[in-house]
Amino acid sequence: MLTVNNLSAGYGGLDVIHEVTFNLAAGECLSIVGPNGCGKSTLLKALSGLLPFKGEAEIGGMPIRTMNASQLARQLAMLGQSSGVYFSYTVFDTVMMGRYPHKKGGLLGLPTKKDEAVALDCIQSVGLLDERDREITKLSGGQLQRVFLARTLAQQPRILLLDEPANHLDLRYQTELVDHLKNWAGQKSGAAAGVFHDLNLAIRFSGRLMVMEDGRVRALGAASEIIQSGLLEEVYKMDVAGYMRACSAFWECEQSS
Amino acid sequence: MRGKVALAALLGLAVVVAGVAVGSVYIPPADVLRIISHRALGTALPAGLDSAHISIVWELRLPRVLLAFVVGAALSVSGAVMQSVLRNPLASSYTLGVSSGASLAAAIVILYGFVIPLAGVMTLPLVGFMFGLGTIVLALAFAARVDGQMQNNTVILAGMVFSLFVNAVTTLLISLSREHAARLIFWQMGSFAMRGWQAVAILTPVLLVIGLFVLGKSRELDIMTFGEDQARTMGVRLGRVKWSLLIAAAGLTGSAIPFVGVIGFIDLVAPHLVRRVFGSSHRLVIPLSALTGGAFMVLCDLAARTVISPSELPVGAVTAMIGAPFFVYIYLSGRKAGVNR
Repeated sequence: MLTVNNLSAGYGGLDVIHEVTFNLAAGECLSIVGPNGCGKSTLLKALSGLLPFKGEAEIGGMPIRTMNASQLARQLAMLGQSSGVYFSYTVFDTVMMGRYPHKKGGLLGLPTKKDEAVALDCIQSVGLLDERDREITKLSGGQLQRVFLARTLAQQPRILLLDEPANHLDLRYQTELVDHLKNWAGQKSGAAAGVFHDLNLAIRFSGRLMVMEDGRVRALGAASEIIQSGLLEEVYKMDVAGYMRACSAFWECEQSS
Repeated sequence: MRGKVALAALLGLAVVVAGVAVGSVYIPPADVLRIISHRALGTALPAGLDSAHISIVWELRLPRVLLAFVVGAALSVSGAVMQSVLRNPLASSYTLGVSSGASLAAAIVILYGFVIPLAGVMTLPLVGFMFGLGTIVLALAFAARVDGQMQNNTVILAGMVFSLFVNAVTTLLISLSREHAARLIFWQMGSFAMRGWQAVAILTPVLLVIGLFVLGKSRELDIMTFGEDQARTMGVRLGRVKWSLLIAAAGLTGSAIPFVGVIGFIDLVAPHLVRRVFGSSHRLVIPLSALTGGAFMVLCDLAARTVISPSELPVGAVTAMIGAPFFVYIYLSGRKAGVNR
């Protein structure tokens, strides 16, 4: 569904990512990991139309480059880290904004009944139906991120890009969010690519990992194989497996004691 | 919500009538309405109405009150747009230098008395708009250069720097021209006195056209409060929309200021109050900012001409007395809330 071939992009004429190639099929999720500054977020920015790029990127055979802003927004949506909110809207109004790329002509481009139905459906799917008339400035961080997720889903995209979507969320919301996204991809035959700092969360999101280093793809494949290959230790320059084992050992002796 | 909107509309109307009724001579509101309907719709006047009252209402107070309303509305809509586009509750045409630029333009036009060919009476608003836009573009370019993130404080500071600089140029021009100095200085402080119907006739269509354009961009304005990258990934053609809105906002302020002088802070106070009461949805914020700003300006003008009657205070001083503490309040409450959690 998403085909990326030899994609390079950067800022001010200087490439930060080089010749990135990968595919995403319908219903598939991909976790993108790598140390700070490896180009993960830059890759997402290029794919979502925020940065010009060289190379090819196509959604369902149609080049991203040839799409205008609202065409692209109907195909692909981005959920970033939850950021601050300066102006207050109700949950419902916020999610309705996701319907913007579907707006018809007309002077005001007013939302239709269908837009409202889709928005309510998305609000329900993140479990906030009872909160739909609350002001978003009064919500907790976890609730707010779910509102943003609902807004992203209201775009009805085929592809979701996630840029550390679970940052600032507590453990329960992190896992709920990731599970929700996985379910979405399965049920709607969408595809999702997510950047994660937390390797455990990355593996929970998808068994398929893409490891980046210095703007290049170092590995792309099953998480289990990548872990065994010792590549993570090389890329992160630390004993990743040892650290993970130490963590889980700690939990095990806590349980048995 | 409907009830609240209707109540606001009634209050606005009441303020306009009160603005016409109250002054050195009190004219009962019923008489005010009768005179207006007589002159505007040709209805009959009751016998025994003082003919001096008719000319006070029609020649003096009504044009003045309407001008105050239109200018207040234009400034407030402009402020609401700036705040959303720059994602900054402290942004406004006043804090970002549009007002200073327009004021410099007006000083030049008044001092040298030039007229743009074909533009005629539109010279003043046109030049005001161009200078206003020029100032904010410079201020924003400077802010972007200093701080790529365009943080709130940087943007406001850049606006202040440019606005002070442009004000200094205006002051210099004024002090170099002894004969007009007193008139220009009083004009610069803002006043609605003796502008007559012409200013109302010029500004009302400008406000209506730009206001409707802005209202048509309500959804984009809503989305842009969540940040530029977010807006782009949601399908907003950011460059085009952002610039057309900034130009519209500069157009509103830039064309209003040359007629009445510098009147600040109303563009901060009115949209903020509206968002507090009605939420941030721009489909409501835009028209209600116009209404609230207009009514608020009429009240400020009423205060300006009655507090030390028979002389007048500059209305710019009145709005600043109320607005500056309000600015501090928004700044501090924004800081306390952080990212509003």
